[in-house]
Amino acid sequence: MEFLNNFVTQTMVYTTVYTLVALGIVIAGRTGIFNVSGEGVMLAAASSGFITAYLTGNWFLGFLIGALTGAAFGLMLAFIHETFKVNQFILGISLVILGGGLSDLIYKIVIGVRLSAPEAPPTPVVRIPVISNIPIISGFFNQDVIVYFMYAATIVAYWFFYKTKIGLETRAIGENPKAADVVGVNVVRRRYLATIIGSALIGVAGAYLPIAITGTYSPDISAGRGFMAIGIAIFASWKPQRAILGGFLFAAIEVISYQLQLISGNIPYQFFLMLPFVSVLIIMMIFRKQVEFPASVGKPYSRE
Amino acid sequence: MNKEIFVELRNVRKVFGEVVALDNVNFSVRKGEIRGLLGENGAGKSTLMNILYGLYKPDKGQIFIEGKEVKIRSPFDSIKLGIGMVHQVSTLVPEFTAVENIMLGTPEDKLTLPIKKESNRIKKMAEDLGFEFPLNVKARELPAGVKQKIEIVRALYRGAKLLILDEPTTSLVEAEFQQLLKSLKMLVKKGVTVIFITHKIREVMDACDSVTVLRRGKVQGTLEREKMSKESLVKLMFMEKEIKVNESALPKVELPEVEKSKEPVCVVKNIEVEASEKTPGLKNVSFEVYGGEIFGIASVSGNGEKELAEAMIKPSILKSGEILINRERVNGLSTLKVFSKGVFYTPEDRIKEGILPDGSIKENVLLGHHAEERFLKRNVFIDWEEVRNVSERVVKDYNVFTPNVEIAIRKLSGGNIQKVIIGRAFVNPIDFLVTHNPTSGLDISTVEFIFEKLVEIRSKGGAILWINEDLDELMILSDRIGVIHKGELKGIFNRDEFDKYKIGLLMIGG
Amino acid sequence: MAEKKDKKVLGPFLRNISVYLIAILLAFSVFSILVGLMGFNIFRALRTLTTTSFKSAFGFQETIKKTIPLIFTTYAFTIPFMIKFFNIGGWGQMLMGGTVATVVGLSLAPLNLPAIALIPLLLISGILAGGLFALIAGYLKAKYDINPIISTIMLNFVAALFVNFIATAPRFKDPLEGHPITIPLPKSATLPFIGGIPSSIIFAILAIIFVYILIKKTRLGYEITAVGYNLFAAQTYGINFAKTIMVTFLIGGALAGLGGALEIMTIHGKLIEGFAKTSGAQYGIFGILTSLIVAGDPIGVPIAAFLMSVLLVGADALQRTMQIPVELVFLSQALIVLFIVVIRKKFSVRR
Repeated sequence: MEFLNNFVTQTMVYTTVYTLVALGIVIAGRTGIFNVSGEGVMLAAASSGFITAYLTGNWFLGFLIGALTGAAFGLMLAFIHETFKVNQFILGISLVILGGGLSDLIYKIVIGVRLSAPEAPPTPVVRIPVISNIPIISGFFNQDVIVYFMYAATIVAYWFFYKTKIGLETRAIGENPKAADVVGVNVVRRRYLATIIGSALIGVAGAYLPIAITGTYSPDISAGRGFMAIGIAIFASWKPQRAILGGFLFAAIEVISYQLQLISGNIPYQFFLMLPFVSVLIIMMIFRKQVEFPASVGKPYSRE
Repeated sequence: MNKEIFVELRNVRKVFGEVVALDNVNFSVRKGEIRGLLGENGAGKSTLMNILYGLYKPDKGQIFIEGKEVKIRSPFDSIKLGIGMVHQVSTLVPEFTAVENIMLGTPEDKLTLPIKKESNRIKKMAEDLGFEFPLNVKARELPAGVKQKIEIVRALYRGAKLLILDEPTTSLVEAEFQQLLKSLKMLVKKGVTVIFITHKIREVMDACDSVTVLRRGKVQGTLEREKMSKESLVKLMFMEKEIKVNESALPKVELPEVEKSKEPVCVVKNIEVEASEKTPGLKNVSFEVYGGEIFGIASVSGNGEKELAEAMIKPSILKSGEILINRERVNGLSTLKVFSKGVFYTPEDRIKEGILPDGSIKENVLLGHHAEERFLKRNVFIDWEEVRNVSERVVKDYNVFTPNVEIAIRKLSGGNIQKVIIGRAFVNPIDFLVTHNPTSGLDISTVEFIFEKLVEIRSKGGAILWINEDLDELMILSDRIGVIHKGELKGIFNRDEFDKYKIGLLMIGG
Repeated sequence: MAEKKDKKVLGPFLRNISVYLIAILLAFSVFSILVGLMGFNIFRALRTLTTTSFKSAFGFQETIKKTIPLIFTTYAFTIPFMIKFFNIGGWGQMLMGGTVATVVGLSLAPLNLPAIALIPLLLISGILAGGLFALIAGYLKAKYDINPIISTIMLNFVAALFVNFIATAPRFKDPLEGHPITIPLPKSATLPFIGGIPSSIIFAILAIIFVYILIKKTRLGYEITAVGYNLFAAQTYGINFAKTIMVTFLIGGALAGLGGALEIMTIHGKLIEGFAKTSGAQYGIFGILTSLIVAGDPIGVPIAAFLMSVLLVGADALQRTMQIPVELVFLSQALIVLFIVVIRKKFSVRR
């Protein structure tokens, strides 16, 4: 029981990272923008967010700057794609490289090399009175505020896309931008908004890594999660409610791989560490028949 | 009818790259009339209306509604001004139902999803118009005629006072066209003005109170109903006075007497192609095509005709049944192997499926022939010299207007591209040509050229399977016409039995 | 008449060059501003960045040493990119090539085979390892429609862990080294330097010729090009998409694997964890940047790879002599690519 409790608690922490990034990709994807820059955005936001939190001693500012960093990348992606019609994947990969370079650069310049790694201020934890005592379920709720933010973001995204007319219109853009355009929906503006907001969520996830999980920034702190989140978005058929399930699944696999490593025995531990990466591929293989894409995702739209 | 001018476009100019699509166009419509906008493919009709609807920005020109100048920057503006448009290709969201599609973009209740409330309103409006369609079925599962009705209701739902229809009969058969006419007359009674874009003279004469003719981006004239006649309209539509044209504005090409081959070149026996959510597939289709004949296939788009074309050259998609070419079973063969048996193909969508747009003409002519010994050295290397020679011959024989065979094929006009695609089919002598909508979107002289080529192939003993969306065209050149509906071959008509109404009825399952 | 003809040929050529010039100008401007803000001498920095490769024999040799693996990882990205797929796995494929070559070399060491047998064996194992590793991603796309961006990146992580496994395995690891490194390969499994330049350059040149002939002259090259132009038309006329996907990944991975094997055999003589990196960043990443600079055109690769290496050598020099972080140069390189990609699109839209 204790083990399960700890497992859930630990998994939800990583679920937050995976889910926020996946949500960011889903939101933009629903307007037709396939955002693969997540890994770079996470790194840039991890760096800028951590530095802010460390220098100001304020966790909230750290996450805010992380979100703004993400938003800036989202703005770049939307702008270059909509204005110059550059291929979304080329753009996304370029931003990954840009984000990665920027993150190490800023950190080197501002913090430099230190004997002991600087520590971030703690993020407040919220304990809900009665639920805190229920075993296992408490694991979902004895968490810091960003985890709750992730829950809220998922619910809001679901409500927006499936329970409002404005969400219906936004989804229409992803299915057939021409159809949305001819009824007067402002395709370009919604794409900008969706990409910026989505990227801001990715930024929050990126900042979460050094501020709340490890306590300090290190190069490659995102460890491929930004790319795995792309897999989650696909496997979730671009639905927010499924993205959180996918996030939980991948987080669970990551946590399990750490545990297995400790009891590895005869199998070299490296193979357990390979588990999350191989699992992404296996999951995508198994579920490929059930996957639906917004029909126009990845393709630019122009009227003429 | 009110003589007041409702909408006016003044001095409109629109240029695409180096092509002048509209040159100083002045166009106005009166309240309550059905105005035809007539011209051949590429005349600029859709472009002009897209400017009015806000999808294109004019380089020069002004728009006036009821005498006041307006700025239309996007469909948002035009819809607000009471303009609605139904495009030639459906602009519904395939994944959404009729109700969801019609609700899309409406200004009230943005933060809720009042499906029930809007369903009732939509149902009532449709009934008022005499339209019937399922409210909660995804658009992608509905036939073209039904989708069009939904799009008309969508426009009217937003209070359109001007309804623009762009080539509405593309996916309609004769019976449906008559129904549409009735609906339009009813709309006019309710105070709606209609602009009817088409390239078919007969439709204008059936439906319109007046007609404006466009040719190569310039207005040639506007005629009232009393002055409309086939001759006067043909004269305004076409520059080439030498082309003889029928009442559908199609070239009149003679079909000479040719002796059919004794044995059929192609035999199709009980073939079946799997249905999916996008297509009915094919069920138990059988027919034969003889040498020296053009066998036309008529269908409304989306009834399995695409799968028929595909099955001919990619028999691996067959679930059951067999196809024989010159008595030989081709069922298990790859496309290239089928080609080697004396078959070739020109696909429906010339840009999407027919050419390599950034590739040179050379590279395009090689496509489909790239496994032939003739073009290979030691089976691994391409003999580009031979490819160049053959390409130059194609360009010459098919009157393709191009400086050389090295330039990218996308720089050619649509008609010249189609000529290369057809020329490519005859790089080697073949017995059987499968061609799908070869003339769609082309200007009249290219259509005439293609018709003449088909007749030439037929005269030389070739067999042609001609799958075409336009029944008028099929009736000009086919020896026999087969009708495909919901994946089944519903009937075959001999040339002396051709009846547009009867065939059309069969095409929609009547 | 002659003048008009010259203008027609000159036009597109000038346009291409100006794309590069404007992009480099913009990126170097950003670089200069950042360098100036950090308080360094801008001119000295720019000079160091661009001329270190040419100021000394050592500089030039270092540049060649970087160009060789870069050519291989650039081709690894470029070949699949011709059919619009993104092989981000150049790094992982290089790692697998080098690692498998090392394993083969160390396993066969007791047999004391002569160089003439050992070297081809190691090169072939590198080629096969890289090729088959990339083929996994190609197959996953062809059969399961899995986006190669995801699969190749996941496989990169797997490859890195595999390298760590081999380099720390009791059988192979060098007990005297603190960092994961294997025991050295037998001398007959290594390739020499000639005049300060690694002899692996011969294979790089062979690779360039191979790619050129493949793409421009063979039927397979035509099929790949056709699919890249228009997948639907290519399929309609009998080209097998699944086969083309797998072949391009196989070839791309094979070249990266060859590059990896050559790096081990020429430069290091043993498997060192982190061998496929330069100044701390993966050759795979620079391969992607280089490929995007030449818009995936296999012919422009060698020159672009050389120029990229000039900047990389300059980056090392900047850090060494002026304490300017290498990341600043990496950032500028990423910016060059972004600017090129955007400007190129802008110029073609006008046409």
